[in-house]
Amino acid sequence: MPNVAVETVKLTIDGQSLTVPKGTLVIEAARQVGVMVPHFCYHPKLKPDANCRMCLVEIEKIPKLQTACSTPVAEGMVVRTATTVVNEAHKSVLEFILANHPLDCPVCDQGGRCDLQDFSHEYTPTTSRFIEVKRVFQKEYFSPLIEKQMNRCVQCLRCVRYCDEVMDVKALAPVNRGTMTEIKHFGTHELDCEFCGGCIQICPVGAITSRLSMYEFRPWMLKRADTVCTYCGDGCQITLQTKDNQLIEVNSSLGAGRNNGDLCARGYFGYHATTHPDRLTTPLVRRDGRLVPATWDEALEYVAETFAQLKLKHGAQVFAGVITARCTNEDLYLFQKFMRLAVGTNKLDSSARYGQVNAVRALCRIQGTHRWPVTFEDIAAAEALLLVGTNITEANPITGLRVKEAVKKHGATLLTVESLQPTVGTISNIANLAAHHFTAHPDQYKPVVLGLIKAVIEEGLADQPLSQKAPAYLQAIRDAVHALSWPTIEAATGSSAASFKEAARAFARTARAVIIVGAGVLREPGASGLAATLQDLLLLTGHHGRPGCGLAPLAEQNNDQGAVEMGTVTECLPGPCDLDDQEARARVSALWQEDLPQGPGLTIPEILEEARGKTLKALYLVGEDPVGSLPESARAKEALEGVEFLVCQELFLTETAQMAHVVLPACSYAEKDGTFTNTEGHVQQVRHAIEPVGESRPDWEIFSDLAGLMGYPLEYGDAKDLLKEIRALVPGYNLPGPTPKPSRPDHTAVDRYLQQGYAEDLGERYRYTPPVKAAGRLTLLVDQSLFHSGKFSTKAKGLLHLQAEGAVSLNPADAARLGIVEGDRVLLSNELGHCRTTAKVWDRIPAGLCRFPEHFDQEARRLLSVSIDVATGVPYYRSAQVKVEKAQ
Amino acid sequence: MPKHEPVLLKNMLQPGYTGSLADYERAGGYQALKKVVGKVAPADVTAMVIKSGLRGRGGAGFPTGVKWNFLPKDYKGTKYLCCNADESEPGTFKDRQLMERDPHQVLEGIAIACYAIGAETAYIYIRGEFVLGSKILDQAVTEARAAGYLGKNVLGTGVNVDIWVHRGAGAYICGEETALLESLEGKRGLPRVKPPFPATSGLYGKPTVINNVETLANLPHIVNRGPEWFASIGSPPKSAGTRIFCVSGHVKRPGNYEVPMGITCRELIFEQAGGMRGDKPLKAFIPGGASAPFLTPDHLDVKLDFESVAQAGSMLGSGGVTVMEEGTDMVWAALRLMEFFHHESCGKCSPCREGSSWLVQTLRRILAKRGRMEDLETLVQLCNNIAGRTVCAFGDAEVAPILSTLKYWRPEYEALIREAEAHRAHELPMAAARH
Repeated sequence: MPNVAVETVKLTIDGQSLTVPKGTLVIEAARQVGVMVPHFCYHPKLKPDANCRMCLVEIEKIPKLQTACSTPVAEGMVVRTATTVVNEAHKSVLEFILANHPLDCPVCDQGGRCDLQDFSHEYTPTTSRFIEVKRVFQKEYFSPLIEKQMNRCVQCLRCVRYCDEVMDVKALAPVNRGTMTEIKHFGTHELDCEFCGGCIQICPVGAITSRLSMYEFRPWMLKRADTVCTYCGDGCQITLQTKDNQLIEVNSSLGAGRNNGDLCARGYFGYHATTHPDRLTTPLVRRDGRLVPATWDEALEYVAETFAQLKLKHGAQVFAGVITARCTNEDLYLFQKFMRLAVGTNKLDSSARYGQVNAVRALCRIQGTHRWPVTFEDIAAAEALLLVGTNITEANPITGLRVKEAVKKHGATLLTVESLQPTVGTISNIANLAAHHFTAHPDQYKPVVLGLIKAVIEEGLADQPLSQKAPAYLQAIRDAVHALSWPTIEAATGSSAASFKEAARAFARTARAVIIVGAGVLREPGASGLAATLQDLLLLTGHHGRPGCGLAPLAEQNNDQGAVEMGTVTECLPGPCDLDDQEARARVSALWQEDLPQGPGLTIPEILEEARGKTLKALYLVGEDPVGSLPESARAKEALEGVEFLVCQELFLTETAQMAHVVLPACSYAEKDGTFTNTEGHVQQVRHAIEPVGESRPDWEIFSDLAGLMGYPLEYGDAKDLLKEIRALVPGYNLPGPTPKPSRPDHTAVDRYLQQGYAEDLGERYRYTPPVKAAGRLTLLVDQSLFHSGKFSTKAKGLLHLQAEGAVSLNPADAARLGIVEGDRVLLSNELGHCRTTAKVWDRIPAGLCRFPEHFDQEARRLLSVSIDVATGVPYYRSAQVKVEKAQ
Repeated sequence: MPKHEPVLLKNMLQPGYTGSLADYERAGGYQALKKVVGKVAPADVTAMVIKSGLRGRGGAGFPTGVKWNFLPKDYKGTKYLCCNADESEPGTFKDRQLMERDPHQVLEGIAIACYAIGAETAYIYIRGEFVLGSKILDQAVTEARAAGYLGKNVLGTGVNVDIWVHRGAGAYICGEETALLESLEGKRGLPRVKPPFPATSGLYGKPTVINNVETLANLPHIVNRGPEWFASIGSPPKSAGTRIFCVSGHVKRPGNYEVPMGITCRELIFEQAGGMRGDKPLKAFIPGGASAPFLTPDHLDVKLDFESVAQAGSMLGSGGVTVMEEGTDMVWAALRLMEFFHHESCGKCSPCREGSSWLVQTLRRILAKRGRMEDLETLVQLCNNIAGRTVCAFGDAEVAPILSTLKYWRPEYEALIREAEAHRAHELPMAAARH
């Protein structure tokens, strides 16, 4: 956060003197000295509206009572919150609020944690003077997930204000006047919005509640566990609430975690996935071609024995393992240790390979450190933000909220380069907040970024000190962008030179600038190059290395960053350090008291390649389902069929697990302890909320047991023991604080890049070759939707209410041209195959593009080809050229 | 015939006066604008208005020039003027006549105010029901623009004044200045929390002045005849100028009467408005619109100026004088007004939202002879719990009818309740116990 000296104000509240920053509201100042002023409409996240009138207080020298929520402190102010007059005012306001309240606490899910109940208990007599007729609203069906009971509403409008001010969705509005004011959504259909659950959480009474757990509990019956959501890399703290070992509800609290109380649909309504009836409850062993239940002893002994035999026969290099980055750091760490020591191979990888590796590589290469140089707070405090290929609302919604906060609350200038058009819809559209927006197809991100850099150079916006410090670097970029003509860039991007120049000026002339990149960059060909080029933009504008500025690549999975730091990507040891970094090897080997295996590692695509070549005999897959998640052209099934011994450790019997020789049931995040490292590099505690489902066990325990059986004891008392060991090897894993410390760029690395590092690929990075596109085809983008995350969320009944199947979204003009209307069955086809699906016409999809949610891509995956990044081994398979037509 | 010389109504009282630009020009219209724009420094125009002692005619009576001076001094950006033409106060109908009958007088006033405060854009927020008025204003704006009095480069001086007429959508609360701004911005018309005041953050967050139609219509006359002339009318220094009183109710000649402030109520009702209908005795009157507390025959000699009426326990407000004759049921009268306030309470603040419905139901019950003596105490307490506890002045206004009728005509309430009690005595014990 910016460190600016703040002016302070001295005042007295109920006889206690205190000093607070200028501009603090009386209600907040009171909280600081332990005085709770009752309120309904006030919420620290929202602009004061002062409508409930509950927080009236006496302020010396002001004749009328004032609302503490809207009055800023002043020097020498004397506030009294507990005088007879104030108490009478609180009583009277509460009497008014209760007048029309139905007092149906016995059947209200808010009962027991309701502000109205609590204040009534404190202020009002037990009998009411109100003997008139209460206002009654007709009950209305609202949505499958959200229950609205307007008779209980106190009209504080917190829900409406949250939906607008924080979420930028504006799905709710007060309708009608006076006592008949009720909260409604627009239209005659059911509620259609982002379903962040914010309105439920922010409602001080029981007017808006969750239908997922309606009437199932009383709050005081619930057991709580603060843990971290696993649906994206944002790392939101959630409180899982359980009753009788059943997940009942998810909450988040203001001031807690990186999300500060905010959640998205996945976090709020997606919790049922972990307790889905399909969960694996016992180990399964293949006997006579069929997977049959076995005891843990049988299964583990079988695995250990087979591993030992194969190792004896073929050596350690016929083994490989892949783990999902959804696991905890402890699981990931022990997995690589298990593979390296117990098995003896470096052939291990994790799902961080699918994109995060690109992010970390680009950061390491130029800034010399592997974590974000900024925090969420820096995003909110940025003066200029550039988003490239983030699809932020859907991919990383909570980081998205920080961007919205920066723009809406603090007036930051937003630049977006996104595969969406700025249109108003039922979910928020980050491009609507942008001062400069470039609509880009996945292959257009690069020319747009090059256009911005060209504009920076040509408009003389390049940082002066840089020309002295790195004249050759600057000249190389100057030459490179000079070689690109504006007509080329304009033709490649569809945006005018003038728009690039305006955007470049807006970005360069700010003190605090952050660039956020997402899957659109990190999971498309050319990713590592483009991430480096974006850092050139920061270097050129003098933002690189400045506090509060930098490149922030978004992690897709909850522990993508941890997976890299635990050394669970094949090229890294814990740290992360390079696999061939001798110093690091010595350090790790000293701690492990064992020699590290020699030989190269293998990335996921290489593992599949070796499996296909039958040189791989045993494969250990933890939470990874290559058959179910990679395109058919990756021929994962064929590869796995060639493996002699396949072990899958899973929550569900996935397509891959069905092929396994042994299936080991693992615990979900809700059943285990450990840590996750979020996208900004913040390590957070994961705590179990329920007991393991069936006989499932935490992943690290399984590795530990297997290692023991194989004669390489890796014994730990609990996850905390593992964390202790991690701390010795990986920096940044000490007791997690409330906010992360962003990493400071390592100047030697930056200098190395500026002096010669840039030269190795600058020519390639600044060259633009227009892509070859077949006429009449659309670019299909298979990516993330707001209501799901990977395949795991498709087991969550709440989320299935919101989106139960895939549909291809088309631009209205394209749809009209193809004679397709919403709901039509359509056929997508190309050389690789075809798939039938339903069409959705969505005006935020740019022309020439169509989108399909990856969570339901079983058939759409046939259309995708895989290309592999030469530098980072990342397989790319998100987009394809397809023909779209109405199905007969 | 009126014995006072009208100022604002003078033109329209001329036979054959149509309110067209030609008519207005013939009557000396737009001379004031010509006199100031580009010739007198804006600050001097403001000084002139301050000197005249002109106070707002919308209801609150705030000194106009002082309000203008609240705009940030060194601010160079966009400023707005809003003309509050949302005349919705029951019993008030002066602005409507000013706009319909002599629209250019209002426009000239707006142009002068814009020049004085440095606003290039003015909005007339006109009550939704005034369809005719808005059409007339629109036409007048077109005429004035064509004649070079409005638009870009007014009278060739380089000054810009654009006026837009915006019709409201039928909410009383939008006459409250900040709710008016919200509504003008296209939002739900709810009052804003102050501070910030419109002078610093008004329409679209820009410094904004909001003046009533009648206030603005006075400006050309102040410019033409000088602030000293204006300050000599009425009861200066606090209540200078004339006032258009809208007399309605049980009088012989209801209508708008422009008189110097400071004439007595008696003079207005009995001389101007011709006295009581059927010469019945006067029972009650409201001196300044529905938000002003009722007064009694004892107050007939109160002077109609800001201070005197306030001293008498009411307010001069919007100038809507509603007169009631002997025989008027005062509980019914209070209910009638309370129903209006209940209907129009925007619902933002809990005390006003819930209180208005509670009050109206209790009054209805009392009038339906189902009241209880303790209801009277409850009514007073509820009123006191609303007043001063809301964002805008609506809360203070809505309790006026009940509190003032209870003050002067409490026996009428008690009589109704005694009837109810007598009736209840015949009920079964169970039911009696309930009430």
